[in-house]
Parts: sequence; structure tokens; C-alpha cells
Amino acid sequence: MRTLLGFLLRASVVLAATALATFTLLWNAPGDPALAIALARYQSVVPAEVVDQIRAETGLGLGFWTAFQSWLGAVLVGDFGNSAVTGLPVLPELVTAMSYTMPLGLAALAIGMAISVPLAILATRRPGEWLDRFAVAIASLGTAIPAFWLGLLLILLFAVQLAWLPAMGARTPSHAILPALTLGLGIAASLTRIIRSGILEAREQSFLPALKRRGVVDRTIGRDHIAPHAAIPVITVLGLELAFLLEGLVVVEVIFGRPGLGSYLVSAIFSRDFPRVQAVVILTALVFVAVNLVIDLIYRLVDPRIGENDA
Amino acid sequence: MRSVILLVTGLVLLAVLGPLVAPADPTAINIPNRLKPPGAEALLGTDAFGRDILSRLLHGARWSLGLAFLISVIGLVIGTIVGLAAALGGKLADWVVMRTTDTFLAFPELVAAVVIAGILGAGTWSLIFALSVTGWMRYARVARGIGLSLTTRGYVVQARLAGLSPLSIARWHYLPSLIPSLTVVWTGMFARAILGISTLGFLGFGVQPPLPEWGTMLLDARMHMRSTPLQMIWPGLAIVICVLAINLAGDALRDSLADKGQTA
Repeated sequence: MRTLLGFLLRASVVLAATALATFTLLWNAPGDPALAIALARYQSVVPAEVVDQIRAETGLGLGFWTAFQSWLGAVLVGDFGNSAVTGLPVLPELVTAMSYTMPLGLAALAIGMAISVPLAILATRRPGEWLDRFAVAIASLGTAIPAFWLGLLLILLFAVQLAWLPAMGARTPSHAILPALTLGLGIAASLTRIIRSGILEAREQSFLPALKRRGVVDRTIGRDHIAPHAAIPVITVLGLELAFLLEGLVVVEVIFGRPGLGSYLVSAIFSRDFPRVQAVVILTALVFVAVNLVIDLIYRLVDPRIGENDA
Repeated sequence: MRSVILLVTGLVLLAVLGPLVAPADPTAINIPNRLKPPGAEALLGTDAFGRDILSRLLHGARWSLGLAFLISVIGLVIGTIVGLAAALGGKLADWVVMRTTDTFLAFPELVAAVVIAGILGAGTWSLIFALSVTGWMRYARVARGIGLSLTTRGYVVQARLAGLSPLSIARWHYLPSLIPSLTVVWTGMFARAILGISTLGFLGFGVQPPLPEWGTMLLDARMHMRSTPLQMIWPGLAIVICVLAINLAGDALRDSLADKGQTA
């Protein structure tokens, strides 16, 4: 319980700091933000009065702290404000974007697990043999391929050359196959390495020969003793995998033209739409912190050695 | 290990000598000669502006590898100072530093870099700033961890009792112990920086055209995927080979340190 409270306290410090950092960054961005918004809105040269009007209505003319306080106050009650460019409320847009991003992220995670877990188990049956070497080589290669290039290669092969799958947009479920595969393969590569070394390390544990001598069958040992041990390093890196996933989502959504949170963020940055950028940043930090809390809790469940005082 | 050293030496030579052996000017536009397939005149073909792709790749090595080196070293310096400050500066300094590090880690690094670089305005300086600011935390954690484990060692205690300032203790007693582990972290961050630079370049937030950075080249090549698919292969291949070589070097380094009983 104390751990949970401590974590929540830390999480709110992190979120507040993220909010302040983003706000400071946006506030001190080079160029006149009001002018940038005017250009994004009207797509042409605009008179100075219009720019002044935008400055007034978006609160850009206020002092830094006044603007930050009013923005933070609104966010705390769930009001992310209106887009500086379209004037529409940001929150519904975020919800729509999330409805594209969440399933894609989960599908990628599922693909990553579906490949890496069996591959690592098969590879570690005979460490050092060809299958193991193959798995390690593929995993090393996979972690070296940038997500955007893998995505382009998949488009080139499956959309351009073979014309089996659509490359751009998100109209049908088949539009999600290539993006999910792009992200999933990347996750599979890094997870395979970690699960593999987790299993190998678990095999070294001194209690295994004792169990064997007592006549416990291999399957039971694998399920009840090796698997939980191998799971610990995997859970440790899940937070990193999530970071990898979120980074990949930005790139993949842009490449495949999916209207998710990542492409929303990129277009918001390009049009200097501050309320949109801030909203995505806060939401990302919130998701990241929340998932890391869950990972931390699972970690404590799996590894009873981690006590309250370790926090 | 030897093959890894060869590979990394090759990369350094590539970045240093690449532009010198490039057959053509990487930014010379020649529209009548655009989108040529690989041939005798241009070994890897030409891009949409008729520029020689091989020359752009070779010059790009200096951007992609050189900037990645710079960024990873900036992170190394910041992270080491921050980590040692936490380890040597007492409880309060440690708390402040570690909470700051947590805050920076509480956000996917590359997403943060995209936001920072994008808001500051696309360009090489924003890119360097964005990736350096988001790339020091791992060093700091490792430096702090090793630093704390040294605090109770005999020679450190004696140095403190002899009246050495924390700065000299950090310089003469902590830094040498940090070098092996930090080098391993550095290889990983170097590889990450290459990926980060090319990703930001590809999104349009990094090194700007017509400069031949590999990610930026891929952004150009993407437009002509149907007519000249090969154009999209080369820069990606260059990135993968470099990242792979550096990662393998890092793995080999970690293994050899583990054999010597050093923690990495």
C-alpha cells in the first residue's frame, strides 16, 4: 500500500514535470506561434489583425504562468482545450485517434509474443545448435532494422510488387496487417533475445538438479520452475518494449497513413497546433506511467523476493 | 572479437574517407539524368534530382555516423556528470537527480525527441539538441549505481579521509572504474542515435534536404518506390549494417568484460 502511494506520488511529479517541460518548450519555440497558426488555418498570407486576434483567442498573449495555470487547471478536469487550427475540441479527436492506435499496438504486441515465445523455447532446447544460432542472428538483425525502413520494405513487397495487401489508410482490417507486422516483428526481435537468455539463465539455477533427482518430470520443471524464472527479465524489459512500441507507432502510422495518435502528433507538430501537441504528450506520459505501474505490480507478484522496502 | 574490431574500424574509415572517395558531388542536381537505374555512370543509380546515390550514401555516412557519435558522446558526458553528482553529492542531491532521471525516462525517448526537434524547428542543431537531451539517462543510472557501490571501498574512504575533494575523488577513483561499463552503454546509445537520427530525418524533423543524411534520403526515395524501388534499399541497408556492427561490438565488449569479472 505504501508502495502504491509512493508510486502515485512519483507518477504525479513526473506528469507535472512533463506538462511544465512541454509548456516551456512550446512557449519558447522559435517564431511567432500565432502567425504559424494563422498560416496553418488560412493556408495563405494573413493580415496582422488576424494574427493578433488569434493571439488573443488562444491565450498566447498572456504571461507564461497565467497561461500554464489556466491550461493545467483545464487539463485536470479533463478539458484539453480546442485545436488552435480547426477550433474543434481536442479530446474527441484524441479518443478517435486512440481507437486506431490501441488495437494496432495490441496486435503488434500479440504478434511479437506469438513469434518470440515459441522461437526462444525452441532455440534453447539445444543451445548453440543451428536453430539457436539462427534465432540469435535473426533477433540481432531485427533489432538493427529501423521500423520505418521495415515498413517501407513490407509495402514494397506486399503492396507494390505482390499487390496482396493495401498500404495506405485504415478503412478495413486488412489495412492493419502490414503496420501490425512491422511493429510486431521489431518487438519479436528484441523479446526473443531476452526470453532466450532468461530461459538459459533459469536453467543454471542450482535447484534444478535437485528437482530432477527427486524424479520431477521435465515438463513440470519447465512449467513450474523455469518459466517463472525466465519471466522475470521479460517483465523487467516490458517497460522498454512499451517505449519501443510507442516510438514505432509514431513512425508506422505516418508511413501507412493511419489516423492514430502518432500521425496526429506529427501533423500537430508540423502545424504548430500547441493544444493538440500538449494533449498527446500528456496522454502518452499518462499511458506510459500507468502501464509501468501495472508492470511493477506484476513484477512483485511474480518475484516474491522483491519486498516493500525495495521501492 | 577481431572481426568486430575490423567492422567498427571499417565504419570509422567510411565516415572519414567516404566523402573523399565519392565519385560525384552528392548535391549536384542533374534533372535530365534523374531516376537512372544502377549502371556504369552511377553505380547505384540516381535519385529524383539526378544526384548520384552512391556519392550521397558515402557523404551521408559523415552525417549519420558523425552526428550519432557526437550525440552519444554528449549523452555520455552529461550522464556521467549527473550520475556521479548523485553518487557523491549526498542524499538530497541523489534524490533530486534520480527523480529528474525518472522524469526523463517516463517518456519514450524517441517520441520526446520528435516533439522537441519538431517544436524547435527542423534542422541539424535541433536534432542534436533533441537526441542529446533525451539520451543521457542510461549513462546516469549506470554511473550512479557503480558510484554508490564504490562509496564504501577502502581506497575511496581513505581518499575522503585524506581530505580529497569530491571532484578529485570522482576524477581519480570513480571515473576509471566507470569506463568499462559506460563504454558498453555507449555502444548501445551510439546505435540508438543512428536509428534516432534516421527516424527523425525520415519524419522530416532532422537533417534537412539536400544534405545526404540516410533517413532523409529514404524520405525522398519513398516517393519513387514504384519506379525505382532499389533507391529505397541502399540507405536502409547502410543503417542496418552500421547498427548491427555496433551492436555486435557492444555485445562482444560486454562478454569480454563479463569474463574478466567486471560488471557491465
